[in-house]
Amino acid sequence: MPDHKLKIGIYELTGCAGDALLILDCEEELVNIFKAAKIEAFLMAKSDNNDDIELDVALVEGSVSTEKELKELLEIRKRSKALIAIGICAGLGGMQAQLSNAEVWGDNFTAVYGGVEMAHSKPLPSKPIGDFVKVDYYLPGCPIGKEQFLSTFARLLGGNPPELYRFPVCVECKWHENDCLLNKNVLCLGPLTGGGCGAVCLNHNLPCVGCWGPSEEANRTAEYQLLREKGYDPGHIKNKMANFSGTRIFEFFSQFKGDTK
Amino acid sequence: MKKIVIEHLARVEGNGGVTVTIDGNIVTDVKFLVNEGPRLVERLTLGKTPEEDVNLVPRICAICTISHKYAAIRAMEKALNVKVGPKVKLLRELMHLGEMVESHALHVFYLALPDYVGFPNAIAMASKFPFEVKIALEMKQFGNHIMKMMSGRYIHGENPVIGGFGKFPDRDELVWIKNRAIQFMPFVIKTVTLFAELPYPDVPESETLYACCNPPDKKYGIVGDDIILSNGDIIDVQDYKSLTNEFIVSHSFCKRSQYKGKPYSVGALARVNCLGERLEGEARKMYKKYFNARWTKNPLFNNAAQALELAYSFERIPEVVDSAVALPDEAIVPYGQKDGKGAGAVEAPRGTLFHAYEVTKGLVSHTDIITPTAQNAEDIERYCTITARKLLESGQEDKIKDRMELVIRAFDPCVSCSVHAVQVKKAPAEDWKAKIAKIKAGVSPLIVGIGSAGHSDDAAGLELARRLRLHGVKDVWVEDETLDRTADWEKDKRRPILFVDALDFGGPPGKITIITLQHAAWSAVLSHRLLPLVTNRISFDQLKNSYLLGIQPASLEEGAHMSEPVVLAVEQILDRLKN
Repeated sequence: MPDHKLKIGIYELTGCAGDALLILDCEEELVNIFKAAKIEAFLMAKSDNNDDIELDVALVEGSVSTEKELKELLEIRKRSKALIAIGICAGLGGMQAQLSNAEVWGDNFTAVYGGVEMAHSKPLPSKPIGDFVKVDYYLPGCPIGKEQFLSTFARLLGGNPPELYRFPVCVECKWHENDCLLNKNVLCLGPLTGGGCGAVCLNHNLPCVGCWGPSEEANRTAEYQLLREKGYDPGHIKNKMANFSGTRIFEFFSQFKGDTK
Repeated sequence: MKKIVIEHLARVEGNGGVTVTIDGNIVTDVKFLVNEGPRLVERLTLGKTPEEDVNLVPRICAICTISHKYAAIRAMEKALNVKVGPKVKLLRELMHLGEMVESHALHVFYLALPDYVGFPNAIAMASKFPFEVKIALEMKQFGNHIMKMMSGRYIHGENPVIGGFGKFPDRDELVWIKNRAIQFMPFVIKTVTLFAELPYPDVPESETLYACCNPPDKKYGIVGDDIILSNGDIIDVQDYKSLTNEFIVSHSFCKRSQYKGKPYSVGALARVNCLGERLEGEARKMYKKYFNARWTKNPLFNNAAQALELAYSFERIPEVVDSAVALPDEAIVPYGQKDGKGAGAVEAPRGTLFHAYEVTKGLVSHTDIITPTAQNAEDIERYCTITARKLLESGQEDKIKDRMELVIRAFDPCVSCSVHAVQVKKAPAEDWKAKIAKIKAGVSPLIVGIGSAGHSDDAAGLELARRLRLHGVKDVWVEDETLDRTADWEKDKRRPILFVDALDFGGPPGKITIITLQHAAWSAVLSHRLLPLVTNRISFDQLKNSYLLGIQPASLEEGAHMSEPVVLAVEQILDRLKN
């Protein structure tokens, strides 16, 4: 019988490997995941990896931070029908992309590694993978969510594109009937941040830190103005958002009207 | 020369590799590379608030997320003078034990065991070991459950904060954890037996120094305010730099550590070596039954030590729960201090993790993070060198690659932390010329000719020294002088030393090879008279920058004349070294 199973590769570039680990953390479903699809490459989980096979779907975690990784990414794209960026490092650059302004990055690199010339692979300022290759879908999150991953995986098996939450964390926070922290004058990034995490920090009485990146469908200008009216410093809000959203956040803020700071 | 390359180390966390270079029958170089791209985390925390720092730094590594968070919180609370209550302390220990269970179960069963039973991965292993795979999964799940309960989610939960927790778990949840831990005990004991009795090969046995946190009250544990070493030294965590002495090597984005000029190891095996006598209950019984001299020198026993720590963790969890449920929840401790400086250490599953911060006007002004894999990197390289050398000596070159993977994996390296794979390669033929050119471009080297006159080709080093002196080259010594002039060696600790000796590395007579002094020392190819000097008197920088230039002799028998190929080799080296 011919093998019709979906061929999937899971790859890690620079990051914390948390998205790959989260897939391993799908303990009960893991055996079924390996049965339902052909996992051709998954370095964290197995040593018999096929590195030159044509793939139906490549899942790529992490940002591009060396020339070697860039080469690897281009090569993965070439042999994959669909490429999905998993996690915020692949999607937005992640925390390491805060410093990707070339000048600042150079100084910082010298501050950490001194004058030692790196012999193995040329380091690059961290950038999201979408800066280099076409990305078909983005799974946000730091790390990605288990439910979100499993539903995406199931949809892929059926030949369907992922279906993701498009609303901000506030919506999920309301579902859990939490008191709004902004009303208690705690700076919370929930209104600006994409949902899907289940409003987990809010459920623990803690403000949203913005780790899923900017929300697509939030009324950004209004939400941002609300934070401004509460008296929060725009510099501080941007600094806080930039913690996880890397380079993308500057585009995000450039869209705001009436606040040039 | 030949190279064994493990380009992508599978079944480790993150992206790393190893390259071993072989010339004839000796190992000339071993490099443990971290290919994971640089993220400059220490820099990007600057200017953030302490709270933001605590949000960010766990993202260094998903497997050690709790350890990073905990170490950062400990350092920040030290810096800002925040004192938390007893329940917070206990529940932090619980979340940390959850990570220990999760990480150790994942590593011993899923990442390490497949090698010993001959499967490429744990899923394939399930066909023959369904019980082990299932129990491992349940243990890992249980560890994850604790982490999720305490931190808010499986990975990078934000519930632990400076001053306490956002939310405390219910009594019922805690009691469930306790009961589940007790239920696991029979399987945990089986796990210890399984991993303590695995047939670990002797290669790469070699003594090393171990370090770990020294828990208070003479107990076994995974945090402490000072560090204990297997030689008895105790170091205050605030003074962590005297242990770690970080430096940078050009072949890796992972910084390195050495203590008093020597590599040291951290991790479960280090903890069992330093603290094993403090174990209690079943873990103590298992320790007494299985611990022996091999555990003190064979890194492969880290797998057994991790299994033993599973027993410790499963016994400790019910105790922690019992103490915690008797105490009232505590509000997050507020703090007003805006400036301060402090370091915190915890035992991550794979070893001691340091975070140190300086806070100025409420913002982070200095960050220093030292991970276990960075501390282990030097010992990983050393053990790889020993493995490759011993297998080469016994004619098992084909086993080098697999055995080295076993060694590296046993360290449970977490490569993301430090910023996939073993490579064995033949050294390039003209390697020595390139390296000499590089040495000559820097600080002028001290050249030492080694050998004995009257033993045909063994006179090569002495002959070269004599000829260099005739050419007016300064600072050329011969072996005998060197022994009396060690004070001179220590004058300039950055100055490279170039030893020249007849070296039987299995090449054709007159072939020249070059070995970094560090690997020459680890490979025991140095003259026996010089070895103790090199390992005890030379600075660490020198060990890294100095070389042994070896000439393959045709004969070392008694005789007045050197063979023709060796004479030619001496001429070639002379050409390169004279001014």
